[in-house]
Amino acid sequence: MNVAWWCSGTPGQVWVWRYTPFLGVWVVVVALIGSYVRAHRRAGRPLDVRLTRRWVAGVVAIMVVSEWPIGALGAGYLATVGIVRYIGLTFVAAPLLIAGTPTWLLDRMLPLSSRRWAVVRALTRWPVALLLFNAVLFGTHLPGTIDTLKITQLGSFAVDVAHLGAALVWWFPAMRREPERGGIREPVRAFYLFASSMLMFVPATFLAFSPLPLYGLYELAPPLWLGFDPLRDQQLAGVLMNTVGGLVLWTIIAIGFMRWAKAEERADEDARRARHSSAGLIREP
Amino acid sequence: MRGRLAAGLLALAFSLSACSVAPSSSTALTAQGLTRGADGWYGMPLTIERTLPSVTLLSTDDRPVRLDEALLGTPTLLFFGYSSCPDICPIHLAAIASAMKQTRTSYDQVRVVFVSVDPERDTPERIDEFLSYFSARMLGLHADLDVIVDALAQLDLPGPVIEGPDPRGEGDLIGHPAQVIGFDADGRARRVWPFGTRRSDWVEDIPRMAREWA
Repeated sequence: MNVAWWCSGTPGQVWVWRYTPFLGVWVVVVALIGSYVRAHRRAGRPLDVRLTRRWVAGVVAIMVVSEWPIGALGAGYLATVGIVRYIGLTFVAAPLLIAGTPTWLLDRMLPLSSRRWAVVRALTRWPVALLLFNAVLFGTHLPGTIDTLKITQLGSFAVDVAHLGAALVWWFPAMRREPERGGIREPVRAFYLFASSMLMFVPATFLAFSPLPLYGLYELAPPLWLGFDPLRDQQLAGVLMNTVGGLVLWTIIAIGFMRWAKAEERADEDARRARHSSAGLIREP
Repeated sequence: MRGRLAAGLLALAFSLSACSVAPSSSTALTAQGLTRGADGWYGMPLTIERTLPSVTLLSTDDRPVRLDEALLGTPTLLFFGYSSCPDICPIHLAAIASAMKQTRTSYDQVRVVFVSVDPERDTPERIDEFLSYFSARMLGLHADLDVIVDALAQLDLPGPVIEGPDPRGEGDLIGHPAQVIGFDADGRARRVWPFGTRRSDWVEDIPRMAREWA
């Protein structure tokens, strides 16, 4: 059986519909699930079904976008699938992993007084996280980066780690609810997500509107079918980045904003009631 | 102990990666993106003088085409390949067709000629069908193998060789020259574009061919 370490573009390799397991992906999957279960056992805590489901779903998302065939197609043949992989790691796997981490585990892994937390705290301050996430987004979509790194298994692995790492840092302040962990609230949160969705338009627009294929890796890859046009593939990748990535962010912004508005309304109502009841205008039942 | 186990797993993974995936393509890659030469061309100049080969091939409607006569008068891009080719041929032809379209260069200004090196499988109908994926205005030619070998030899190029089974299960892969050769209107070979020439390179060179080699 053909086996490889990680999905990467191998120049000149003809695409064949034959399963090729990527060993590194399985190592990562086993490590992520194994360490999650072991951490619970060590702490003597039962697995919370809801949180475990989220964690496992995040790991499954990593596996789906990194294993054959999506991993291989996205790493070396189709820019569209490459963007699907990016979206999978950034907008599916990362938020699920963060949502699946219980507070006690976070406290155990990153005690508030530890140096580790100091580093994570510095990275997850929202302006820093915003900058870092977008620097990785821009940097890893430059033609030079793709054509140099994604043609080797180690380079491709490094790009995937950068995507997931930057996404974890970026989602952290937007998703964690613990006040001591620096979570941000509306309207800053909405602005934070909105700013990212706007910045994402830049590389997506380059992909969608460039008159020429930007990446030699995809342009010179053996075509999957006759008549395949790498420019169309690239345009579709740009549209996908805008629509799917944008849709995820705008949905979260809308939900967050509605919740915030509702909470504000409720708080106003409570305050009004409190004022009126102290003035004897409302008789509580 | 745990660290050693992890390191062992990693080493195993990397050693497995060396014996990697499917067999590689038929023809070795010769370039990964060209750089513009001092003269402004991406195509590489030929150091030896060669002209259009004196051979007679057949068009897909089985009319004889003597290359050193029929192709005179218009700059020509000549490429030897085959329709079952999984990589180099479709990539080259797609890039050329797209650059022709983008630069609004007509096939009357720059002729694109595809010569099949696979007389066994490449029937005229199959060549036509293959070229229709790129442009029906490309000229497809075929001939017996000895004529093809002669044409290639006149250009100092090696003849086609069978390289073993196609990993897609579509017969044999055939090794063939991976470069596109550019001839001016007088039939002189001027430049070659190796595999790896990108659309961005062609959009610069094709209009120049039409302007300067006519």
